[in-house]
Amino acid sequence: MSGTSTAIPAAKHGGNPFLRAVGIVSQCCGVISAMMILAAVIITCQMIFVRFVLNASTIWQTETVIYLMIAATMLGLPYVQYLRGHVNVDLLPLALSRGPRKLLAVATLGLALLVIGAMLWHGLHFWHEAWDWGERSGSVWDPKLWVPYLALPVGFGLYFLQLVADLIAMLMGIDKPFGLSDDVSFVEARSAGETE
Amino acid sequence: AELRLSHQWSTSDVRHKVAEIVANHVAEADVDLTIQIFPSGSLFKAREQYKPLSRGQLDMTVFPLAYAGGIRNPYNLTLMPGLVKNHDHAARLNESEFMQEIESIMAEDDVMVVVHGYLAGGFAGTDKCITKPDDVAGLQTRAAGKAFEQMLAGAGASIASMASSEIYNAMQTGVLQAANTSSSSFVSYRIYEQVKCFTPVGDYALWFMYQPLLMNKSTFDGLTDAQKAALMEGAAKAEAFYLEEAKKEDAEARRVFEEAGVEIADMTGDDFKAWQAIAKDTSYKAFLEGSPEGQRLLDLALSVE
Amino acid sequence: MDPLFLGAIVAIATIVVLFSGVSVATGLLIVSAGFLIVFDGMSSLSLLPEIFFGKLDNFALLSIPMFIIMGAAIASTRAGADLYEALDRWLTRVPGGLVVSNLGACALFAAMSGSSPATCAAIGKMGIPEMRKRGYPDGVAAGSIAAGGTLGILIPPSVTMIVYGIATETSIGRLFLAGVIPGLLLVALFMAWSVYSTWRKRGLEVLAGRSFTWRERFEIMPRVLPFLLIILGVLYAMYGGVATPSETAAVGALLCLLIAMIIYRLWSFSSLWVVLRDSTRESVMILFIIGAAGVFSYMLSSLFITQSIAEWIGTLDVNRWVLMLAINVFLLIAGFFLPPVAVILMAAPILLPIVTTAGFDPYWFAVVLTINMEIGLISPPVGLNLYVINGIAPDIKLKTILWGSMPFVLCMVLAIILLCLMPGLATWLPNAVMGPAV
Ligand code: NA
Ligand code: NA
Repeated sequence: MSGTSTAIPAAKHGGNPFLRAVGIVSQCCGVISAMMILAAVIITCQMIFVRFVLNASTIWQTETVIYLMIAATMLGLPYVQYLRGHVNVDLLPLALSRGPRKLLAVATLGLALLVIGAMLWHGLHFWHEAWDWGERSGSVWDPKLWVPYLALPVGFGLYFLQLVADLIAMLMGIDKPFGLSDDVSFVEARSAGETE
Repeated sequence: AELRLSHQWSTSDVRHKVAEIVANHVAEADVDLTIQIFPSGSLFKAREQYKPLSRGQLDMTVFPLAYAGGIRNPYNLTLMPGLVKNHDHAARLNESEFMQEIESIMAEDDVMVVVHGYLAGGFAGTDKCITKPDDVAGLQTRAAGKAFEQMLAGAGASIASMASSEIYNAMQTGVLQAANTSSSSFVSYRIYEQVKCFTPVGDYALWFMYQPLLMNKSTFDGLTDAQKAALMEGAAKAEAFYLEEAKKEDAEARRVFEEAGVEIADMTGDDFKAWQAIAKDTSYKAFLEGSPEGQRLLDLALSVE
Repeated sequence: MDPLFLGAIVAIATIVVLFSGVSVATGLLIVSAGFLIVFDGMSSLSLLPEIFFGKLDNFALLSIPMFIIMGAAIASTRAGADLYEALDRWLTRVPGGLVVSNLGACALFAAMSGSSPATCAAIGKMGIPEMRKRGYPDGVAAGSIAAGGTLGILIPPSVTMIVYGIATETSIGRLFLAGVIPGLLLVALFMAWSVYSTWRKRGLEVLAGRSFTWRERFEIMPRVLPFLLIILGVLYAMYGGVATPSETAAVGALLCLLIAMIIYRLWSFSSLWVVLRDSTRESVMILFIIGAAGVFSYMLSSLFITQSIAEWIGTLDVNRWVLMLAINVFLLIAGFFLPPVAVILMAAPILLPIVTTAGFDPYWFAVVLTINMEIGLISPPVGLNLYVINGIAPDIKLKTILWGSMPFVLCMVLAIILLCLMPGLATWLPNAVMGPAV
């Protein structure tokens, strides 16, 4: 992460056009996500300036920043998946040999697809309901809520897509199960994932 | 049957006790009905209870109806400056044609009222007293509710939005100079340690918020007659308690602030009218812009003596 | 089914799913969805996106990416090296001046970054090679930075404190202050051990620093000035009435980006992108866990497990210190495997009512919890800081890093014991600055 800007792992496409296309989409999402975070930083500073220096009302900033952050998180999901940045505990995969490890990878990816698919499906309904009811946030600014809610189906949809690509890459042998090389030692498997 | 009731407050709050009275009464009636209370937003966040309630995924909630004002604009009238003058007036409003209209809107969302109730609130300032509109000019102010923010902005205040739990720190560091919230929040967040002057609920007050105990209507209709009867008996008991407690909380806030050495300033009839005049030009106007049937409902509400 | 029994089943299922290699956030969603389908029916799934969105719909969360950007921006410059070098030039007469400087630099850097690996990487990149060059044992060089790096989440600003504040509705400003003195206490303990261990293994001559002229000492001062400006600026914004703690983070992030660009000439688009990319990657990962943990806690609450556990522990008639010991062991074990954010989100809402009922201070507990999480960061199997060090200094064996870190774990345990004996270490500063807790 920060500072250790050496090569970071990413999804492999092995020349497959579908995998490559999905990877590019995910990377574009990452750029948009980063720009949204940057925009949130600048808007928050603007809000502090308006309040502290100009002593004026701040009406739209708080909500805008929250919705930007949520959108950045949702659009960031496929990108972080592409970068293998969602932290996991791979004790069980490391304990397994090649065959069972691959089976486990198929099972976990399958379950992930099911649950993200459910989030996508119900997220779509959640968004459509807000659109249908003309739901507003209820603040003085009072934006229509379908706009920020749109981030849910879009984000989960693109995340779903990247997970499908990962499953295909693994089944085709382009990428290893859990990104672990066959004779991986416990230590080598660790150097990538980082968190706070 | 087991019903799930959700609300956002702690177990020492009056609104939890209202829910408890109903739950206990139903349990004692022995009609095979239990009400499971989820306090402190442990099931749903404060503002996210209306839609699950309307879909029947939640059975009951104690809910500030204005939180759903973004879904149903008329609900904004249940937190409108100057519409309610005091607690007895609020009780009369609960019986009025205005409330029947509001209830018929709820019915469209499959929601019904079990216990009516209003809570009131006042103002506090870190450097000065806030009784009339001129007092807030140029102050960074936190208000509870859209209509109040609009009215205060109309009076020349600068609006800063934050949760009521943040008021204490914001006042302490000087981010905030004035706040408007409920009597119970003023006490439970110990705002009296940070302010110079407090305007409690007295003969006149601006801030009244309708916070009923709501229930999913289909769920209610699915109960047996004995269960319905037990529930409504408990509700009647709770409603009487709610009104008494609401008055007590205002008196308690006044006492606590006074004892903490905070100056107490009461709002006069003229102050009230000055605020109402500004509200008419700001929050009432904004409300009417968003709602074709608004004028009729507003007139109905204002016609209650 | 008895909610307690159900709770045990949920716990086992969660452990199995999380150990299976699926990402923590997705794993939490899988477990939640599974139990909700079985006990509340298929239709309960339709609530999950709403709950997920609701968890993220919180202004305070925005400070997480901001404090991560602060750390990432500064870590991308050579500011970390400047920092310890400045300290080293001034601490020539202090035995073990170099390792003391490195740990001091960790503490200072922690005051700007909300993230531990950022702190670790920023100081360690230059600090570890320098310490090894001057003869410090590999274990001390690596262990001190791994441990010093964990201060990122104890000394404010801290991402985990923000998450704790949101999960338990406690004041983030107060939580930040509570971490300061325990953070300094840990630095002192780390320094003491490092100096002692080096002296015992390598003798006095290694500890003796190089000598610097006064000119050299003053020369480097302008290079650490930006640091002090950022720290002072953020402190002023936070406690001087300019902004709330969550808003302050944005000021810090912007300041750090500007300083990295202007003073450290981080102009090129590609190097700026690396900062943004790394911050986005870490922030999104954390925010996804926060949303998913919100769904998980909805499931626990809906199945009445949270409430039953709290009630059950309430009925146990045990000494409050036995209770605290049990909680610490639980947190320690959870921290061995899971990232701090996940542990706090899952455990804090259940534990806090129990802890406060037993008469412990919620801000004090936040510090104890955070130190437990710090131990997790430098212990196997998922000690993230160890792997950061492993990345910085690939030629030190992981076993050496691990053994080198163990004494620092003991320092942290000692700090927890000291905090139990003297709770004022955590509660005094917030009370002095902000008045008694509300
Ligand atoms: Na920090
Ligand atoms: Na660990």
